[in-house]
Order: sequence, then C-alpha cells, then structure tokens
Amino acid sequence: MKSQHTTESVKFPKISAIVTLLNLEDSVEQIYSSLSQTLEAYGEDFEIVFIDDGSVDGTFTKLSQIADKDARTKVIKMRSTFGEASAVDAGLKATRGDIIIYFTGRVRIDPKDIPALLQKLKAGNDLVIGWRSPRRDSRLNQVVSKLFNYIVRNISKLKLHDVNSGILVTKRSVLERIPLYGNLNNFIPLLASRQGYNVAEEKIGQLAGTFRQSRYVKEYLQRFLDIITVIFLSNYSKKPLHFLGFVGAIFVIVGLGINIYLFIYRIFQFGGIAGRPLLLLGVLLLMIGIQMISIGLIGEMIIFTHAGEIKEYNIEKIIGYSGE
Amino acid sequence: MKSTVETNYNLELSLIIPLYNEEDNVKPLYLSIKKVVEKLRKSYEIIFIDDGSTDKTFTLLEKISREDKHIKIIKFRGNFGQSAAMAAGFEAAQGRVVISMDGDLQNDPQDIPNLLQKLDEGYDVVSGWRKNRKDKFLVRKIPSKIANKLICSVTKVKLHDTGCSLKAYRAEIIKRITLYGELHRFIPALAKIEGAKIAEIVVNHHPRKFGKSKYNLTRTFKVIMDLTTLNFLMKYLHKPLQFFGAIGILLNVLGIVTLFWIACRLLIYKFPVIQLNILITVAFLLLAGGVQFFFFGLVTDLIVETGTRKRLYLLENYRSVE
Repeated sequence: MKSQHTTESVKFPKISAIVTLLNLEDSVEQIYSSLSQTLEAYGEDFEIVFIDDGSVDGTFTKLSQIADKDARTKVIKMRSTFGEASAVDAGLKATRGDIIIYFTGRVRIDPKDIPALLQKLKAGNDLVIGWRSPRRDSRLNQVVSKLFNYIVRNISKLKLHDVNSGILVTKRSVLERIPLYGNLNNFIPLLASRQGYNVAEEKIGQLAGTFRQSRYVKEYLQRFLDIITVIFLSNYSKKPLHFLGFVGAIFVIVGLGINIYLFIYRIFQFGGIAGRPLLLLGVLLLMIGIQMISIGLIGEMIIFTHAGEIKEYNIEKIIGYSGE
Repeated sequence: MKSTVETNYNLELSLIIPLYNEEDNVKPLYLSIKKVVEKLRKSYEIIFIDDGSTDKTFTLLEKISREDKHIKIIKFRGNFGQSAAMAAGFEAAQGRVVISMDGDLQNDPQDIPNLLQKLDEGYDVVSGWRKNRKDKFLVRKIPSKIANKLICSVTKVKLHDTGCSLKAYRAEIIKRITLYGELHRFIPALAKIEGAKIAEIVVNHHPRKFGKSKYNLTRTFKVIMDLTTLNFLMKYLHKPLQFFGAIGILLNVLGIVTLFWIACRLLIYKFPVIQLNILITVAFLLLAGGVQFFFFGLVTDLIVETGTRKRLYLLENYRSVE
C-alpha cells in the first residue's frame, strides 16, 4: 500500500507520462528506470501511468511491483487488448498533468531524449512528435515506415518524418480535443494540426535490443489502409461526396462510354455483343460508380443528420463575453 | 403545456463578421458598421470571428474591443473556413435577429436597416442581392451567375444572389442550421429545409480596397458535389428508401429484361449457352446490384431515423410557434 503522505505530494503533477505496454515483461524495468531518472533530472513534478493493454506474460506483475515501490506511478490493466488508442484514452482519463508524454513501449525509444521534446513544446508548440533517428529496428520496418511517411508527407500539409513514431509530448487540452479510437493513435499529429494546433518534430534515439517483429503481412497491409485514413482526415472527412463523387463519376463516365460504344456497335449491326467481355466491364464499372456515389451520399446524410454534434472549429479565445 | 423554442434572446441584433487576414479592413469596417447600427436605437452586439488570421487582424480587433463593449471576438486556433466561422458566430449570437456580412468592406452596412425592414414584413431570411457587382467580370461575375442559376434550379429557392454574405435571419431559424464543410453558400436552401420564408433585396456592393480576394475557380467541382448532396437531402432526407429503392428497381428491371432476352435466345433462336455466358453474368450482376441498393435504402432509413428524430420534433415546434 502507498502511504498517505506520498500520494498527497503527487496529487497535481505537472507532467504525466502515459506508457502503453503489451507483453513486454523484459523491458518494463528498463523503461521505468530510465524514464523516471530522466524526468527526475528534468526537475518538474511528474507521474507515470503504465497501461497494460491486456498482456498475457508477466508484464502486469512487474508493473505492480514498481507501483508498490514508487508512489508517482500508477498501473491500469485493461481487461483484454483494446488497442493503442483506447489505452491512450484510458491513460488520459487517469492522469492530471497539463503536459502529457505518451509513448508505446513497443518502439523502444530512449527516454533520455524526452527533455529535448519537452523543450521544443515549451518553445511555443502544442505537440511535438518524436522522430526516431537513428533507427535500430529491422530493415523491413524502416523501409515500410519511410515509404509510409513519404506518402503521408505528400498528402497532408504537415511535413513530418515519422508521423506514427509512437512517442510524442503534448498538452492535455490538445489530446482531449482529438478523437481517440481505432487506429487513430497513429495520426495524432495530423488530427492535432487539423484542430489548428502547432505541431513540430524532434529527433529521438532508439535503444538497441530486440524488437517485436511484425509477424503478419496484415500489419504492413494495415499501413496501406492507414494511408486512406490520412487522405480522409486531411481532406474529406466532412464531405465524403467530394471524394467518392469524384471517383464514382470517373467510373460512371468510363462505364457509360463503353456501353454507348457497344450500343452503337449492336444497333448498326456490326455484330453481336452478348458474348463480349467488354459488356461485362461496362456494366460493372457503371454499377460500381453509381454505388460509390450512393455511398458518398449516405456519408453526407450521416454527417448532415449528426452535424449538430460535431464542431468543425476550435476556438482559442473569446473576448468581450463577460459573465452577465 | 406547449414548450416554445428558445424565446429568450438578450439582444435585438447580432452582427456576425468572419475575418481572415483583413488587417487593413478592420478599422474602417468597424467604423462604418458602428455609424449605421448606433442610429437603429436597438440593443446589439458585433461578433467578429478571426478565422486564424496570420496578420495583425486579431490585435486590431482586440484594441477595438477594449473601447467598445458591444464587440465580441471569437478567435479560432487555425483557419477553419468561412462555414465554420459563421457557424461559431451563429452559435454565439444572442440577438433576436442575426445579420451576417463579409469582412472585406464589399458589403455596405448602410443596407442593414433595409434588411431589417424586409424581415419585419414577415420573412425569416432576407438575402442581399448585389445587383451591380464590383468584381472582375470573367473570374467572379460569370461563374457566380452560372452558380446562382444552378443553385436556384436545384434548391428551388428563387434568389438572384445566394452567394451574397449580407443576409439577415431570425435567430429561431439560423440557430437551427448547422454549417460545416462549405455549406455557407447554401444557407437559403438549408433555411428552406427548416421551413423558412425567404426574400431578397438589392444591396450596394463596393470594389475591394484592401487585401485580395480569397476565392478561386477550382472550387467549381466541390460546389457541384455539394449541390448534389443538397438536392438529395432536400428531396430524400426523410424518405431515402425512395431514392435508393428507385435505383434498385431500375437495376432489377434491367436484370429481369436481360434474363428474358436470354431465355428468348435460348428457347426460340436455339443459341448455344456458351455464346450467352457474358450476358448471363451481366444479368446476375444487375440483379445483385439492384438488391444491394434496396439494402442501402434500408440502412439509410435507419440512419435518418436515429439522426433526425430530434430535428423533426423541433421543426414542428417551430411551426406551432408561428
């Protein structure tokens, strides 16, 4: 049990570190000691919240040992694996600090570099994302990540090198305005920038050692699907028809073109079309096109009927409204 | 007991003015508005929305607000666009009547009394009509003419100039409209969905003195898409199954006709099946697609039912107040 007076002294820490862990019993000690040493040296009041996202190894046991010893730490154990985004959300709700350090244990960053990120935050940014450099994880990981970030840079207005690095420091108010679910934790910088916050990046080293490898092709495929998420987040989230209408219109035009050609071909007795695969293509394209436009319209309808609940803007300041 | 829709408005008039990098216009705009509004002898507020300006707009506004308690400033964290800015203004407005105008001095505050007068004749929305536009002919006036004709015919709201920012609204109506994306262009149509009576009056228009225009031609596609959405919403918001169902029926009929055609060929003309393979696939494709559209319609019905129950209720409430 923690004694009463120690909990009192950490009631309102300035910095809250949220660390998410999944099956990392070997790294727990190292992450804790280097992080707490770094933050102690930094000099501000802090707390560390570990979120055990449903580990099946000894992660939780190790974490609870740490929490028993150190009153500045807290452990949240999820009932099963709910994913990064939910873990961050849970961590956010369990902490009080104005400044949030978030990282996932999986990326094995060097906590020694965190003060540099905090400095950059103080310099007038609302969110600073770590840029893993030099990287020490597998070649394949690095190549996929490079490619992914290159594409993201070209789509979004943000020019970041490691948008999903898994380490960032930010203000509580920023994270509280960002929807955190599904895979969105990979895009916190983009989401923050869309809300008008200043986003910057700073290099952070990775620790040598073993990395959890992506065991499935699925996880790389995920990156590709994430790119579609980025496109929507960057441009079309409130106007699905702008995107789907455009793609759908292309399909419809091509499909119509093919069908008109075949129609003329048949009418002027150049020959039969019943056996031509082109007919199938024409009809298929036309139908996919109409479907896309329809799905776009359904999207518009969802947004229109729920528009009252979504706020598109973020107010920084209101002047002139006195309480009367 | 009949509950009425927010009948407590603290003020008589709210002016909503979105600004984005208009540092040269702030002061003259304020002075010209002030001159007109003071003469109305009504309680009022002027709400400036700074849509993430990167110049001195906010500093200048702040300076004005220190000397004038009628001024309210809403500062956005970034540039969220005119729709968002107007939405924030409408939400903050406390006036019984809300007037929106551009921050570039092209609208003339002198028209405000006329707008109010027209509103008093029993309208809910009065839109300005820039009959003599002082803009470049080719890049602004022509596209605007075409857009207006298009918007007019799609939305069935007979206005000459939907794009004019100078408009007056009754608060009951404008508070019910949620603007997002680029819907500010279609406020009259959205108001019509809410059952508003709409009128227009001719207003003055001045050429731009300071700063540069923030519009461009490339938005045409987006406008067309928004218009498609609006057309769809106005017709089918409360009966989407009719739209998707119609497509479904069409596809199914096409599929059945094709099947019939195939049957004729097989039975009467004794075609070998192998020659009709593709056509058979097409027929099944059409049928499958047709069935899918029915399900689209059903799902959309669900969405609308869960989303708009509240809106419909408010709508009826508003009419009963009338």
